[in-house]
Amino acid sequence: MSDLGTSAVTGPEAETGGFETEIGGSAPGPVISERKQARRESWRLIRRRPSFIIGSAIVSIWVVCAILGNRITPHHPLDFRAKDSSGLPALHLSPRAAFPFGTDATGRDVLSRVMAGARDVLKIAPMAAILGVLLGVIVGMIMGYLGGWVDLVLSRIVEAFLALPVVLIALLAITTLGRSDWVVVGVVAVLFTPVVARTVRSAVLAERDLDYVTSARLRGETGRFVMFREILPNVSGPIIVELTVRIGYAVFTVATLSFLGAGPPPPSPDWGAQVSEGFRVLGAGIWWTTLFPALAIASLVIAVNLIADSVQSVLDAS
Amino acid sequence: MQRLASAIVTLWLLATIVFLIVNVLPGDVGRKILGPFAPKEDVAAFNHRLGTDRTVIAQYLTSIRRVFTLDFGDSYQSGQKVTDIILPALFRSGKLALLAFVLTIPISIAAGIFAARRKDKFADRVVVNVGLASSSIPEFVTAAVLLSVFCVNWKLGEVFANPPAGTSVIGQFRYLLTPAMAMVIAYFGYIARMTRAGVIGGLQSDYARTATMKGLSKGTVMRSHILRNALAPTITVISVQVGYLFGGIIGVEKVFNYAGLGSTMLTAVGAKDIPVLQGAVLLVGIIYMMSTLLADLLIAYLNPRVRLEKTR
Repeated sequence: MSDLGTSAVTGPEAETGGFETEIGGSAPGPVISERKQARRESWRLIRRRPSFIIGSAIVSIWVVCAILGNRITPHHPLDFRAKDSSGLPALHLSPRAAFPFGTDATGRDVLSRVMAGARDVLKIAPMAAILGVLLGVIVGMIMGYLGGWVDLVLSRIVEAFLALPVVLIALLAITTLGRSDWVVVGVVAVLFTPVVARTVRSAVLAERDLDYVTSARLRGETGRFVMFREILPNVSGPIIVELTVRIGYAVFTVATLSFLGAGPPPPSPDWGAQVSEGFRVLGAGIWWTTLFPALAIASLVIAVNLIADSVQSVLDAS
Repeated sequence: MQRLASAIVTLWLLATIVFLIVNVLPGDVGRKILGPFAPKEDVAAFNHRLGTDRTVIAQYLTSIRRVFTLDFGDSYQSGQKVTDIILPALFRSGKLALLAFVLTIPISIAAGIFAARRKDKFADRVVVNVGLASSSIPEFVTAAVLLSVFCVNWKLGEVFANPPAGTSVIGQFRYLLTPAMAMVIAYFGYIARMTRAGVIGGLQSDYARTATMKGLSKGTVMRSHILRNALAPTITVISVQVGYLFGGIIGVEKVFNYAGLGSTMLTAVGAKDIPVLQGAVLLVGIIYMMSTLLADLLIAYLNPRVRLEKTR
């Protein structure tokens, strides 16, 4: 998506170079540098916000855990032969020096599993969000640009989708389709599409009747060209905001789905799955198997939302 | 009237979406449920009983008819009518949801007004950020944390939210309070932020200034001028939450072992009992639509301008 957003040269003035220079992005002129400068300026403003710094610090920690996985965990996340000091199998050990987050029902180190579990959610959630935004941009662009009955019909479908809670309908779809990472990504992406489409649609409506669009149309450009080369770069602000917000929701949704049993199958250290294994023994006072993965989910969602919030306040203000 | 017509169209689309999801994979339903070793005749008989041996068009028409007659067919697993399974479960979820809303709405509207009056001050930032954080955490996470703190460590609530049969209304309250709290935390942020934005807009408006200069007290201006206008977006958000609540309530019900709609759906997922799942999803869609309709009526009642536009 960012490819489309950055490679396209925009603005009515930049068009004087014609189609060729348009694609190459080499058309000189004040407009391009102005746009680049504006982009650099908002990026600078975003980077300075404390919520962005805190959010990206937390996200970076989880990304490092996800990439390095069991190369940096103190124990192997699937190793259930943890022994306590007397050499007995260490099942449900409370937090201590050797196991800072304790051990779970089969003696696996909870800290190692929480660290390794970042991989599952960070693999699925951003992919689902990106795909959902991509689809939503296409649908929303068509709705906003074409208008008329196409918009009417699609708006109705969007409205119907919005009446269904994402988690419920995802559960139904995953049950009928069978569970796999790709099914989860696809289902969440499709369910995010209507929301994104609605946002993009209203952004496009504001642009549709501006002079640069009319002049491109009069020049005889195809609808696809006008939509994705002319309008898209001008609505990139709301799209970037939507993407960051959607990644937060995707983490939320994917974690909830795996808690409900639609996550990766058992030996996997997925956070939602860990909570769902752990919460049943809470009544016996074993809180660490639930609390730590739960806090991991909370920290990641909050961190992503902090980033989204700072991106939103800068881009909405400009 | 126009609103009603569009609701019917949405309902039809809703049923179509659900039908498409369920039927996107062509497959022998009877074979899937009875397993690969069941005799052919049994599978055929089973399919006939379910009606899954008919053409896709015929099945589609049936499923559309069912939405409008609120009859979702029979459960694959038990053969019971789906409505007999999901309606009692919905009633139990409804109790939990009602308690959650009764607690959330006053707390978050009060917090929104409180924050708006202190815009950009420390107290305002606290409300905004707490709201942002609390509404971004999945409900089941909050529920699990509350369960371990309140019910296990402090023994203030029950680990299992199902009250024994015959518990009085007051007695049930003790069982439902902790799960409801998890939902209060999840929905507090949205409603408080919406109210805050509305009140800030109202405080800066001309009509509020006029009312103040007329000599009305601060409280009167807030109640009968600002809130009347500011509440419209808040009511819309609440009505949307009513639908989304059923997405979050599944996790909460699982954590507290509460036998509501969410638990029923999870059982249906385990048994691949599609009609029950389908019925529950459609029912939630219908509830969502009714609550947004109701919200529109309420907004029209509160705001004479909207009322006039409608009749014009």
